[in-house]
Amino acid sequence: MTPKKMCAVFWRCQTLIVRFGQRATTNLPPKQISLDSSISPRYCFPMIEAASITAVMRALADPTRRAVFEQIVNADEITVVELTRASSVTQGAISQHLKALKQAGLVAERPEGRKVYYRAEPEGLEPLVDWMSHYGVFWRDRFANLRTLLKEIDP
Amino acid sequence: MSDAALRPDTQEIVVDEVFPHRPETIWKTLTTANLMGRWLMMPAGFEPVEGKRFTYQTTPAGAWDGTIHCQVLEVKPNERLSYAWKGGHEGNAGYGSPLNTVVTFILSEVEAGTRLRLIHFGFVLPRNETAFQKMGEGWKKVVKNIGAIVGETD
Repeated sequence: MTPKKMCAVFWRCQTLIVRFGQRATTNLPPKQISLDSSISPRYCFPMIEAASITAVMRALADPTRRAVFEQIVNADEITVVELTRASSVTQGAISQHLKALKQAGLVAERPEGRKVYYRAEPEGLEPLVDWMSHYGVFWRDRFANLRTLLKEIDP
Repeated sequence: MSDAALRPDTQEIVVDEVFPHRPETIWKTLTTANLMGRWLMMPAGFEPVEGKRFTYQTTPAGAWDGTIHCQVLEVKPNERLSYAWKGGHEGNAGYGSPLNTVVTFILSEVEAGTRLRLIHFGFVLPRNETAFQKMGEGWKKVVKNIGAIVGETD
């Protein structure tokens, strides 16, 4: 699936992804997805799309890989050699990280002569944008507060 | 259900967790101003009565003073609480842009306690362009924040 297509799919079922992302990052057991009247039927999308956000999260969970990605973001285009020069790991390791980032749809490449230039694909991050949106973060924080408060008033 | 739920181009945020407490206890934290102030925000003028208007004070942005205008839409003790959540200003993009949303809490008793679902719906998707393209330079900042979130998967 191309990053563009992946994003189009993501965009259509953001809610599912937010729910899935929430589960992926808190290591909670899978929750039953209910289809009562209060929740729109969009929830019954297959889980294939949601697997892709796991790829994005896995790709960025590694601190070195994230550093590589940040470097690519900050440069318009950058080569493996340049990335290696600015890093403490080998060119082979950088290449592996680039491969993972490419597979997650976060990075695209452009061969030119003997060089390959890498650039960031912001669309690959789109699924995470909603997740990080103000209220997404807001409500998760507040639920954590609520848990603490309940422990206090009802031990 | 308010009309916000029927707009096809909107999306919602869902948080769904189980708390090891009775629904009655959780209901209290959702509907008692002092307790709301301790986990959510201190409301001004809140009462769990349908039709009641109240406000929350949040961080101002641009021409918006940060006030969230709410109105209680539905009260089913220990089961369901819903209120309108409106604020923002046309002049803002992203945080502080106009919001015409509804917050619904749904409680259901489960073996381990109470399942609490929050559904905050009515967020309007940007037309013709993705929120991401709109963010422009802002997205570099976003990358920096990802670590905090994805780090939790380790």
